[in-house]
Amino acid sequence: MGGYGDIQMIDENGLRMDGRGPTDIRPISIETGVVPVADGSCRMVWGANEVIVAVYGPMEAHPRKIQRQDRAVLDVRYNMAPFSTTDRMRPGFNRRSREISKVTSDALESVVLLEMYPRSKIRVEIEVICAEAGTRCVGLTAASVALAHAGIPMTDMVVSVASGKIHDVVVCDLNKEEDNYGEADLPMGILPNTGELVFLQMDGDLSPDQFQTAWDYNMQAVDAIHEIMIEALKNGGEK
Amino acid sequence: MAIPLVSKLLRNHLLELASKDERLDGRGRWDGRETNLEVDILPRAEGSAKVTMGDTIVYAGVKFQLMTPYPDRPNEGGLMCGAEVRPVAGRNWEPGPPSPQSIELGRVVDRGIRESGCIDVKSLCIIPGEKAWQVILDLFAISDDGNLFDAFALAAIAALKTASVPCERFDIGPDYPLEVSTIPIMCSYHKVGNRFVYDASYKEELGGDERIHITLGEEYHVHSLQKGLKGIFSADEFAEIMEKAKDKSTELRKLVNSKVGE
Repeated sequence: MGGYGDIQMIDENGLRMDGRGPTDIRPISIETGVVPVADGSCRMVWGANEVIVAVYGPMEAHPRKIQRQDRAVLDVRYNMAPFSTTDRMRPGFNRRSREISKVTSDALESVVLLEMYPRSKIRVEIEVICAEAGTRCVGLTAASVALAHAGIPMTDMVVSVASGKIHDVVVCDLNKEEDNYGEADLPMGILPNTGELVFLQMDGDLSPDQFQTAWDYNMQAVDAIHEIMIEALKNGGEK
Repeated sequence: MAIPLVSKLLRNHLLELASKDERLDGRGRWDGRETNLEVDILPRAEGSAKVTMGDTIVYAGVKFQLMTPYPDRPNEGGLMCGAEVRPVAGRNWEPGPPSPQSIELGRVVDRGIRESGCIDVKSLCIIPGEKAWQVILDLFAISDDGNLFDAFALAAIAALKTASVPCERFDIGPDYPLEVSTIPIMCSYHKVGNRFVYDASYKEELGGDERIHITLGEEYHVHSLQKGLKGIFSADEFAEIMEKAKDKSTELRKLVNSKVGE
């Protein structure tokens, strides 16, 4: 986590650099069907983040050794396009993207009804086209929209959102500048219908009170995001 | 890329259509799909473009890095062009290191741009022998419904045309637009049902044979050629598609110019 610097991240009225209050999230829009050749897809723009997710399957799992007799395997890949960051991102997997792929997969496996498709594979491809802090949350949220768009049965979609701390103040949904100077980050994956969690990470430093505040901010943000996801699926329905 | 099965039915169907001078999606032999070009759409890239040709969708992004000039060319910067077709683009594209197919894609597009001389690598030099700009052009496919070559090439030149050199970020003075002197345009022709067609769709590529890529610059100068896949073609066939490429490249160059504001 970065140092303080001289930058004023929160003004005297409690407003952040981009004019948001502590609990406000960045603007979100979702469009489904953006990858015409995929079985399900969506583009999610969240602040300046832009993520495209394509879902392929259920299809035959190759090679046979990866097949599971009682359920489908979920093959999730998170990747950042080379031009998605200020400094060019070298193509290919790195440790960060592998870890995010894995935790995203773990979260989605908890909601997708994999046992309905034994011996098959469902591919989820998450491509970050433009990054502005919080891409793992955008990726996971968008992935569940794309899975729903592909008609894959799930118990619920996943809404993923993060809260963090800047200059000792807890705020929801950090942007890039805030993230650079942030002192903590708590991303969560929440099931909107039950309030249960399928994804949780945290790094930084939070007091018990701050932790509770960050937790509550995330929980409060869920409904608004869930609404946008459902609207996007209703609007782009034909595929 | 996983090698997909090609059904005899598809090949026969394409042959039958060809005998009636028809195509799968009702296009004429030399008609392209609806082509849409958007520029400056990636906020983190120094130049960018998105091309939609039917259901084929690609992005191109330009980034700059500082490099040490090569010892044998101390006054020159560099141009690097890489194509990535990640598994997001279609069910047959697989993860892992770049496949021969995507390497061919990147190299053919690279040659067209490099050999047209549209980027003066000498102008990229900052301090001879010490510091120069490396222009990195990344091509990224989102949806592959055939003819990634033309989509990549079009996005590539449009992205370069909109690129600005990020001097301020590197403390070397004010930003300035990258100079791109000409607009090379690639036109690809696939042998489908024993005759060449322009802008093949994925199914036509699948049930077709060889493909030929022609990159033309201003005044129809030829900058790169590539024949790919198994197949035999005659000099007459080549002459015919070359003539068609001249018209098509002029049309596409107009499209690029209309979008980059010249």
